[in-house]
Amino acid sequence: MSSRANVVNRVVLTVLGLLLLTAGGFGLALSAGAFGESRADNPVLPEQVRTFPDGRPWFWWAVAGGLVLIAVLALLWLLAQLRTDRTTRLDLTTDARDGYTTLHANALTNAVEDEALGIPSVTSASANVREHRGNHVFLRVELADSADIDGVRTRLENEVVAHLREAVADPRFLVTIELRPGASKTPQRSLT
Amino acid sequence: MTATTWVTRGVSALLALALLFCSLLAVVEIAAAALGREPVLVHYPDWTDWLRTHSWNDRIVQALLGGLVVVGLLFLLLALRRGKPAALTLRNRTDGVDVTASRRSVEKSLAAVAARTSGVAGASASVSRRTARVEARTVAPSDPGIRDEVESAVRGRLDSLGTERRIRTRVALTTKDTR
Repeated sequence: MSSRANVVNRVVLTVLGLLLLTAGGFGLALSAGAFGESRADNPVLPEQVRTFPDGRPWFWWAVAGGLVLIAVLALLWLLAQLRTDRTTRLDLTTDARDGYTTLHANALTNAVEDEALGIPSVTSASANVREHRGNHVFLRVELADSADIDGVRTRLENEVVAHLREAVADPRFLVTIELRPGASKTPQRSLT
Repeated sequence: MTATTWVTRGVSALLALALLFCSLLAVVEIAAAALGREPVLVHYPDWTDWLRTHSWNDRIVQALLGGLVVVGLLFLLLALRRGKPAALTLRNRTDGVDVTASRRSVEKSLAAVAARTSGVAGASASVSRRTARVEARTVAPSDPGIRDEVESAVRGRLDSLGTERRIRTRVALTTKDTR
């Protein structure tokens, strides 16, 4: 899932929330007589508003244009929910004149997972390459309950990340590591 | 992803779908009206009549406006609520390497470490951005030092993680029902 979608959702929901709140609040103030008692007695759709489009054939086409725009934006919003940050290839081309170099993300992530699994107390590891503010590898590591977290972390950063950066020939390649201490079930102590 | 993010995503998908459907339907109705046809799906002349015959201070109109305000507030709540973090950020050691610890796994780990304290039969933990709350069930109302032991074990586990922001610990003891 894309983290960009979360930002978009928050922005759109804030805008829609403010619009509904303003419209509802304004209507309630009008109905409570805040703009004069006579206005509160007016119909919701006054005659001059209802007849405004008469003799103005462009009006409904302008409304239709606005609605098409809303429909397109809604479609983009819907598609944003399905988009993911994950990528399947890494472009390692340094000079296009010498040819293009791409690396299958799986090759990289499998190597990272295997090396992480070689660290004592690591019970499971999964990695993927994501495209968010540039490429970066996301590595999730599950640890045994008794794990020396500091030691595991040191080995992950000094060995796994170092080798990964060597492989992609980028000493500043971004990596996110998520540790999951105690993810493997711990037997309960029984007291008798 | 947290529960809040999932709810926000579900609501957003439904809302986007509703907006898409309603705007296209309105375009179809406008096109049908321009061609002199009858309403296709929505009999909008009824809606127009209703809006002409109801004034702003009618109860039903006020109820609908109140509904708009409530829905608007719900959207804002959903958009601005932070909720519990999915992961806790750990102190940075290497440039370009961000390390986090999944909140749920930290909760499990803290519960496990508390449960291993002598005299504790079981424990549960919940972690927010600033506080880790541990509820430990003791076998009997016994040694008053248990709380300190549990707190120290939990503190030790959090320190070994090295969270970027210091997390307070709160330990509550309950006595296990031995009937």
